[in-house]
Amino acid sequence: MAEATEQRQQLSGEAIKVVSFRLGSEEYGVDIGQVQEIIRLVAITHVPRAPRFMEGVINLRGQLIPIIDLRTRFGMQRTDSTKQTRIVVTEIGTKKVGIVVDSVSEVLDIPVENVEDAPEMIAGVGTEYIQGVGKMNDRLIIMLDLTMVISESEKSQLAGIDAVLPS
Amino acid sequence: MSDDLFDKQEFVSYFRDESDELLQQIDADLLKLEESVGEGHADPEIINSLFRALHTVKGSSGMLGFTDVQGLAHKLENLCDLLRKERMPLSESIVDILFGGRDFLTQLIEVAINGGELPLDLSEYTGRLDKSVAVYEETSHVIEGTSSEVQAFEESTDASTSKSTQDMEAFEAEIARLLEAANAKKADEPAPTISTESVVVAATDMIGETPAVQAPATEKLDKATIEKATGQKRTSLNQTIRVDIERLDTLLNLVGELVINRTRISDIATTLERLVSDKALDASSGLVGPLAKDLADSSALLARTTNEIQESIMKVRMVPIGQVFDRFPRLVRDVAKARGKEVQLNISGAETDLDKTIVDEVGEPLMHLLRNCVDHGIENPDVREQRGKPRAGTISLNAYHEGNQIIIEVSDDGGGIDLERVRARGIKQGLIGSDDRLSDRELIELIFTPGFSTAEVISDVSGRGVGMDVVKKNITRLKGVFDVDSISGSGTKFTIKLPLTLAIIQALLVRVVEELYAIPLDSVIESQRVEMNDVRTVHGNEVITLRGQVVPLVRIAEFFELGGARDPEKVMIVIVGLGGRQVGLVVDSFQGEQEIVIKPLSDVVGRIAGISGATILGNGSISLIIDVHSLVSEAYTDGKVARAEFSGV
Repeated sequence: MAEATEQRQQLSGEAIKVVSFRLGSEEYGVDIGQVQEIIRLVAITHVPRAPRFMEGVINLRGQLIPIIDLRTRFGMQRTDSTKQTRIVVTEIGTKKVGIVVDSVSEVLDIPVENVEDAPEMIAGVGTEYIQGVGKMNDRLIIMLDLTMVISESEKSQLAGIDAVLPS
Repeated sequence: MSDDLFDKQEFVSYFRDESDELLQQIDADLLKLEESVGEGHADPEIINSLFRALHTVKGSSGMLGFTDVQGLAHKLENLCDLLRKERMPLSESIVDILFGGRDFLTQLIEVAINGGELPLDLSEYTGRLDKSVAVYEETSHVIEGTSSEVQAFEESTDASTSKSTQDMEAFEAEIARLLEAANAKKADEPAPTISTESVVVAATDMIGETPAVQAPATEKLDKATIEKATGQKRTSLNQTIRVDIERLDTLLNLVGELVINRTRISDIATTLERLVSDKALDASSGLVGPLAKDLADSSALLARTTNEIQESIMKVRMVPIGQVFDRFPRLVRDVAKARGKEVQLNISGAETDLDKTIVDEVGEPLMHLLRNCVDHGIENPDVREQRGKPRAGTISLNAYHEGNQIIIEVSDDGGGIDLERVRARGIKQGLIGSDDRLSDRELIELIFTPGFSTAEVISDVSGRGVGMDVVKKNITRLKGVFDVDSISGSGTKFTIKLPLTLAIIQALLVRVVEELYAIPLDSVIESQRVEMNDVRTVHGNEVITLRGQVVPLVRIAEFFELGGARDPEKVMIVIVGLGGRQVGLVVDSFQGEQEIVIKPLSDVVGRIAGISGATILGNGSISLIIDVHSLVSEAYTDGKVARAEFSGV
């Protein structure tokens, strides 16, 4: 980790490497360290009685991974999937979680001095997951902390208590 | 340095396994010994076996520096030696002392490995032990002079384990020489007294100081290892190794993946072959045809091989249930003794194999059941005589395979469950109303209510009401079924049905709206198509009548809120059974049976009522596994279904 950070700094000075993706008209960025991989949309199996924001589960090379629809999570209008729809696979705690986004744009180096704290207007209302807003030319990139996207209560729902099944 | 530490850790865990086995061996031997009390002397075979087990415990614990364990094992060994040499008559009180000593050994080993307090009453016990040994040792002392000292010594070498007594006499000379040398070394110290305690201490000291004595001890342990490896102790001559269960689990997971991919490849091969025969693939069809055939062939071969690997690994995980049964004779004896009852325990089917994880979990429920049989089932000897039964009650513990399941039966020839008492108790505890009319089965079900107990007096054995509900819960957790049959006056029979393994199951795939669901085949009774004309409603709940029995229906689509419209003409029903109750699950269509690898879902999405896990099908899609137990019991506790059932359509 430390080595990677060092490398990053050598390459680009004080900059954050983020994966940027779109949701509607907004652009978001996630620290590349939180991203495991990005895959095309695959068949999502609906899980009845699961929390509302949970889209279902997918099979990622034999492993079951829950999928969260970020639009639902952020209270946005749901849309049909397109060719650009992607699943960003991330790791929360020790568990992998997939996040459905409209499209993944690119990997950006955002200089640290270009990242500002989120304006108070959007911060505060259960939006601890917004780390700040990054400026790249005329683009505004909302920097997300994916581990915080799943709020504490939801995380405990995710963790579940596996008393019944053999692990 | 860290290497040393690691080695010791490994050795401790080896010691734990070894002593577990040895303690069971000791139990078994003591039980046999107890049977021969009437004859006044012990069968030398049994005593020797006991002696060997104690000796090995002593040697191993000594090497690890567990001096408390070593000391007690040594004292018990001495006692056995007196029995072996017939210097001490075999009596019930001696057997009791040995049983007590065996229990203290267990505790001491536990303390030595995991730390904690030494048992408080240990010194009182060793006092008693020393006293009973001393009486006979004194006499032998007169006859054989310092032999007790020599004896103590000979046992810290490997002399006595396997050699016959003649060989041992030759050895004693050797020991005497060692003793002399050691004494010379300690010349400036006061002469050792004869008390067993000090001899143990001296012996321990000398093991530490004299390499010549220590070396054979190490050799001895190696010998024990080899003895175990060659399986001399058990009847079979198989070579065995110990493998961490986690490694097997990993292997099993990998095979699970292999099975999934194997199914996928054969799906591809089938599709390809169909396309070729449909002439859907026209490009260079001259090549594709044979290739498709090749793929199909080798995928069939792959299927066979994976099946075999899977079976082999499942077999590796299988252990005989006897591993659990072995500890019950002792348990039954102790409980019976404590309650003043006479009980004969008959065990059969101890060689029946099942998955290691299940074996580990099933011990406790079985223990509860056996205690219950002794405590509540079997009557007092006098009562039994009055009822024209033999004074000694019989408890049978029987295991056998039936299809993909293992059946374990625990039955007694006692008084059976007193339904009137259960009813009275149920009314008293407010579980049922005083004028409720309940069937016998429903009354029996009452004993599974948490906190329920018919015992008037709370004994240390049972009657705290933590029994049957826990048993039932544990069995259900293992995806098993628990049933009770009781005939008043002639006995009770508990039946446990368990799957052979928890990882791979046969399932019936069904389609509901858009998704495929898997229903474990072991709970499926039948599946059928029923015309809507035959579906009736009771209080707004749908039921069908199946061979005279009213079966409530649960529409999966509605239970899971999946949407989708009802078919106005017919319903496709999977009848599932749960502890004698039946429920019809309404699905859209049946998709055949398949072997599936269970993947836990709860650590992915949390626990969801009605879903017990998921599986990945051959085409890579996911199918959720319906948890029949939770679904049916939820349906019943909703009250709707219960009302439908009791209204007696």
